[in-house]
Amino acid sequence: MSTQYSKYDSVAFENFSKKILNELTQDESLTMTLSAEETLFSRISKARVRQITNVAQASIDYVYIKGNKTLSFTLPYKAFEEDVDLALKKLKISREWIEKLPDDPYLVRPAFYGITKEENLNALPSNDEMLSGVLDYASHVDLAGMFASGDIVRATINSAGQFHWFKTRNFYLDYSLYNNKQKAVKSLFAGSTWDALALRENIKDSELKLSLMDRDSKIIERGSYRVFLAPSAVAELLGTLSWGGVSMGDHQRGNGSLKSLWEKTKHLSPKFNLTEDFSLGMSPRFNDRGEVAASSMPIIENGLLKNFLTSTRTSNEYKVETNFATDWEGMRSPVIKSGSLARENILKELGTGLYLSDLHYLNWSDRETARLTGMTRYACFWVEKGEIICPIQDLRFDESFYSIFGDALVDLTNYSEIIPNTGSYSQRDVGGSKVPGILLSEFKFTL
Amino acid sequence: MVNLKNLLNSLNTEADYISLRSVHHHSVSVGVRNEILEGVSSSEDNGLMIEVMIDGQIAYGATNSFELSEVKRCAEVARQSALMAKRFGLFPLTHQERPKVIGEYKSPASRGMDHFKPSEITDLLISLTGQMKIHDHIISRTANFSLIETHSHYVASNGSDVHQKIIRSTISLSATAASDKGTQRRTFGDEQSAQSGLERIDRAVLLKASQKIADEALALLEAPECPTETMDLLLAPDQMFLQIHESIGHPLELDRILGDERNYAGWSFVKPSDFGTLHYGSKLMNVTFDPTVVGQNASYFADDIGAIATREYLIKDGLLERGLGSLESQKRLNLPGVSSQRATSWNRPPIDRMANVNLEPGHSTMAEMLSTIERGVFMQTTRSWSIDDYRNKFQFGCEHAQLIENGKLTTIVKNPNYRGITAPFWNQLKMVGDKSTYQIGGLTNCGKGEPNQVIHVGHASPACLFSKIEVFGGGK
Repeated sequence: MSTQYSKYDSVAFENFSKKILNELTQDESLTMTLSAEETLFSRISKARVRQITNVAQASIDYVYIKGNKTLSFTLPYKAFEEDVDLALKKLKISREWIEKLPDDPYLVRPAFYGITKEENLNALPSNDEMLSGVLDYASHVDLAGMFASGDIVRATINSAGQFHWFKTRNFYLDYSLYNNKQKAVKSLFAGSTWDALALRENIKDSELKLSLMDRDSKIIERGSYRVFLAPSAVAELLGTLSWGGVSMGDHQRGNGSLKSLWEKTKHLSPKFNLTEDFSLGMSPRFNDRGEVAASSMPIIENGLLKNFLTSTRTSNEYKVETNFATDWEGMRSPVIKSGSLARENILKELGTGLYLSDLHYLNWSDRETARLTGMTRYACFWVEKGEIICPIQDLRFDESFYSIFGDALVDLTNYSEIIPNTGSYSQRDVGGSKVPGILLSEFKFTL
Repeated sequence: MVNLKNLLNSLNTEADYISLRSVHHHSVSVGVRNEILEGVSSSEDNGLMIEVMIDGQIAYGATNSFELSEVKRCAEVARQSALMAKRFGLFPLTHQERPKVIGEYKSPASRGMDHFKPSEITDLLISLTGQMKIHDHIISRTANFSLIETHSHYVASNGSDVHQKIIRSTISLSATAASDKGTQRRTFGDEQSAQSGLERIDRAVLLKASQKIADEALALLEAPECPTETMDLLLAPDQMFLQIHESIGHPLELDRILGDERNYAGWSFVKPSDFGTLHYGSKLMNVTFDPTVVGQNASYFADDIGAIATREYLIKDGLLERGLGSLESQKRLNLPGVSSQRATSWNRPPIDRMANVNLEPGHSTMAEMLSTIERGVFMQTTRSWSIDDYRNKFQFGCEHAQLIENGKLTTIVKNPNYRGITAPFWNQLKMVGDKSTYQIGGLTNCGKGEPNQVIHVGHASPACLFSKIEVFGGGK
């Protein structure tokens, strides 16, 4: 039934780590952070296998401190005895390098943040069985995307005695369906337990949505329109906030995007509430240093800034309080509070305007005014008097965050969707977001 | 060092074809902000990709262990995946898409990792940020260095044997100025990754660049917004690199045209029938795929399936000639392509990528181009970028701009942006700069693929003049 994974386990990692930590002298300290995965990736086009790849990989980031100096190094972790030799050899070189480096005035020393172990290892069918299930059922549609399944590990241990271990087993089918006009709908089927019936329902639902895309597309003139943004589109907007939007360090260094909110010269809608909420259970609460963030922390409350994400290094430099963010100070488990708009009232409340299911390739066009640009993508429709009329040709928008989640925010849906991270640059991501849809009185399109 | 040929011979995997590709990355990076060392880090990554073909179906297995037992396990997993997947295969492959190739490549770098001394680089970067400390309004000054050595070895059951050793380095700088008039940032070097080592470090050049970006960031604080109007647009090479990358490179990738990328990076407005017929740009437009440029960021001997690298025209005199796709995509489309099936590392299968995609120089000097402009704007250095999934509607922002009035560069303007649609934009290409305006660059962060892959690419371009482009500034 279940694929057996045994390569990366907590006892082996802890035993290996102790062999390295035991070699430290009194004025040295070390933090070791493990990222590991055993994943099947299957790239799918036209509901056929384009490429199929099995990856077993693990690496450890080491942060080494001697006196008031620090440096870091990353090495592969093979779960073999040779790992010890490689790490000790690198430690020897690091001792030579560090002597000539300057002190770090904002040094973050390892501390004891407790010992935790969390493993979510539900039994899944074999990869073959799951992938065959997808491809057999989807054989009648043009499906493109990625099926991934397997184990992911995040762990950190340090010379102060702290040890955190997080291992999860899950799968996702991140896909889109296409009609013969090259119009598409997007969906995601993900989880940690396999339900073949639910998979079929998910694909069937996408087929139904795709049938709406058969009508001829309407060309929409540039200008401002009333719009509804579905949860997946809102998740894209939220993702951009992690690029300098909610980072204390970025704002201190002049690279932040919500400067006016920080300085209280602007505010967002009182309906907008954003929280970093680890109760979603998709991301470990500990960061690379092993610091454990609060289970829930408001970032924006009733349209006003409550907390930027602040790492301990930023805290040391700018004398502000840390909330144990990662050094990157991006969101790991963001949740936008839902509102009062019921699913059945979305089109009626939209009236005449645009229903946008997804957005694509967002970037700040002007950080100073929190202006974002990006494209509409997938199932986006022209709506008249509460009825979907036809799909649209894709549009470019350029709009300020202060309008989207401020003056133009009419309501948020009374339901939310959980959207797991499916990124896999170098390794599979963990984490995700929980967001509602939003109804806006205006949204500016420029091309 | 593991003998890969012996390892291959030790495998008893039943398959029509099998290859091993080992990749060893060794990198160091140093970062300094406001004269404080932010980090010295080094990284080693070493692993193996096993490729197995059975009845035309390929499957991959990747592991970071070279132990024979683990490699055998990994090969068997790949074999099982090939057997399972062949019932669902998208298209059958043959030995023709895995040619026998033997060769070697080495970057022209002379001073690699063995010469790296962290304290020397740290001292240099501290002095560079110190050079930017020209005013209290310069609140953030950064200098970053990276050096990467990549050694790959590819052997296959058809006798292929390719060693490639690539050394790349970059130094990038930034100066952020802030006052009650806003915040402005200037950078240097982000787009200048190259196949060179420590020998490329020229302290005098870097100090001059530090001073220049700090001066310009300060000047931008006082500058008016870029106007909103349709005018002539002169782009510097450091912005042309992005323009080429997003609106020529990506749409010409054959795997996008085939639809493999539809669910992630997107499709392309280019259709298979456009090759040989589409006037992509004006007759001044000549674009090459050229992994043979000495020292450019994405030069190599052969791609990761064994296709030998050659220089080819993608667009000649404005006409689209060929796409960016290697032997697999060429076979599926029955179109000519290039040697460009590349993987970011040992843990990813190779896919169609750019390598060095260069806009060839024309015949106009900078002075000649300026003299033809009654009203226009000269933009430099990428700040913001976004383009649709068919690579049509783009909007790009730059760090620095200067108005051009009656043939002269005049007022500096801030927050410059422009937008357009790919083919009409390139058909508005009015003048192409000569070799005196030509620069060679390289990017480190081209993202694509499922699973995701980021890879090094190279771009080279002269300054170019486009007519009647929508430009606009920042603000509400």
